[in-house]
Amino acid sequence: MSVLLAVLFIVFMLMGLPIAFVIGASTMGALQLGGVPLMVVPQQMFSGINSFALVAVPMFILAGDIMAQGEISKRLVAFADSLFGFVKGGLSVVSVLAGMFFAAISGSGAATTAAVGASLVPELKRKGYDPASAAALIAASGTIGVVIPPSVPIIIYAVIAQESVEKLFLSGFIPGIAMGLGLMAIALVQGHRRAYPRGTELSLRTIARTFLSASWGLMAPLIILGGIFSGVFTPSEAAVIAVNYAILVSFFIYRDLTLGNFYRIVMRAGVTTAVILFVIASSSLLSWALASWQVPNAIAAFALSLSSNVYVLLLLIMALILVTGVFLETASALIILTPMLLPLAAQLGIDTVHFGIIIVVGLAIGMVTPPVAINLFVASTTANISLERIARAVIPYLLMLILVYLLIAFVPLFL
Amino acid sequence: MLKTLEWIDRGVAAILRPVVFAGMIALTAVITLQIVSRVFFTSVAWTEEVARFLLIWITFLGAALAFQQGRHIAVTFLRDLMPLTLRRLITGAGLLVAVAFLVTLALIGWKYAGLQSFQKSPSLRISMFWIYLVMPASAAIMTFLSLVDLIRLLSGREARGSVVEGIE
Repeated sequence: MSVLLAVLFIVFMLMGLPIAFVIGASTMGALQLGGVPLMVVPQQMFSGINSFALVAVPMFILAGDIMAQGEISKRLVAFADSLFGFVKGGLSVVSVLAGMFFAAISGSGAATTAAVGASLVPELKRKGYDPASAAALIAASGTIGVVIPPSVPIIIYAVIAQESVEKLFLSGFIPGIAMGLGLMAIALVQGHRRAYPRGTELSLRTIARTFLSASWGLMAPLIILGGIFSGVFTPSEAAVIAVNYAILVSFFIYRDLTLGNFYRIVMRAGVTTAVILFVIASSSLLSWALASWQVPNAIAAFALSLSSNVYVLLLLIMALILVTGVFLETASALIILTPMLLPLAAQLGIDTVHFGIIIVVGLAIGMVTPPVAINLFVASTTANISLERIARAVIPYLLMLILVYLLIAFVPLFL
Repeated sequence: MLKTLEWIDRGVAAILRPVVFAGMIALTAVITLQIVSRVFFTSVAWTEEVARFLLIWITFLGAALAFQQGRHIAVTFLRDLMPLTLRRLITGAGLLVAVAFLVTLALIGWKYAGLQSFQKSPSLRISMFWIYLVMPASAAIMTFLSLVDLIRLLSGREARGSVVEGIE
């Protein structure tokens, strides 16, 4: 039955059906032919999304979308500029730092790319930066959005793996910062080689002024993450606080949000949520079917028959994650891969939290690898540069991200 | 006839948009209430349950709206490489698979909601029928939308697209 399932899955996917339908239809077909009563379908689909922890998904998406559209992101960029604008090619270092700031507010890579891109691309072009490289760097920094908490993929992983969201969030910081530092290093080298201009001069007064001006945005991660890690709020509650905070700041302090825009943002966030959660619902059915046919155990047994070396197997797993991320969108890939690989990871003695970071970072890298590369698409639209040019310019950043990925997986310091 | 169908198609979206918006606002409000009541007063028992039910409703109705807007994620780069006629054939076959899946989902979803109608939710004590009803409803709406697409395709026009790149 599992072979039939795989064949149906691949055929339906290549036909261009929505992923949620691909998963649902192929599983349903295999169950029907296997003589399993189909009443399990609604049962599993409901139980897959009937979870309070998943409430954090729509709320972090909404909070990120509200904060991405206006003053909050502009002021964060200005603050980042006052800190690093003074070096050669400073503005590209700034785009990485701004991405890291925004990652601590938003839970998605696309929102991070859009927020930083909208505020920085015009400036980068005006100052004579190579536009394709600049847009590619912003797209690459956008991947940090799902690694530094809050993070929608991490929440989804936590729900599937039944692991604590708080623990996973905490383990996201160092890998996220490492990714940022790696990208900054390339930005500095390129800035020197291409003799990019220096930006804002370093002065304590500018730093203080932009810091104060950005303080509403900078306070958001303190409230969100402080609330979660001090145990005052659950992650879902913290996400709702973030929404309320974003609404208050945008409506009453910066006054840059109109009612019409608010309606569209909320409705769009609702649709985005539905798309992700519909995939989760249908893949709960898939994982139920796979588990009842013992597929994850078979995968583990097969992998262990290839090699008994943990490092070799981990490398293979990481390669599989990266390749999946090239062809599948992050959330879908995560939802499909996690239940299949968890038993193997457990047998290899890899900690569930650490494995979550490995899978999320690997799929985040997939956000800048075409053909399915959300961050490149967003960067290409915001910067108005062809996808091909950005895809070529992203290669050095991509290699750096893969290097950091290897460090995260194999160097104990990053665990 | 196609004109009427497309008018209903857009009407479905016009109804679903405010519903999804209201669901998101209600979700925010309910959990805000949960936090405020727990921090300042005593915690309210029913908020978590309502939040989970709202999430289920947003998911299934939002999925129908996403279908209408062509915002579901799909892997289309291979299909798009094909010559036009072949591509239209593949799209049509895909729509047939979708219809088969959605009709089955609507039927068993309806049966399941009926079977669960005697069960009451733990804290609100409402019949679970009203929660589970959303799945057959959503599947029925999406069946209709797929049929409109199929008719569009047969009359020589393009079916609605889907988001290739994903959303995260």
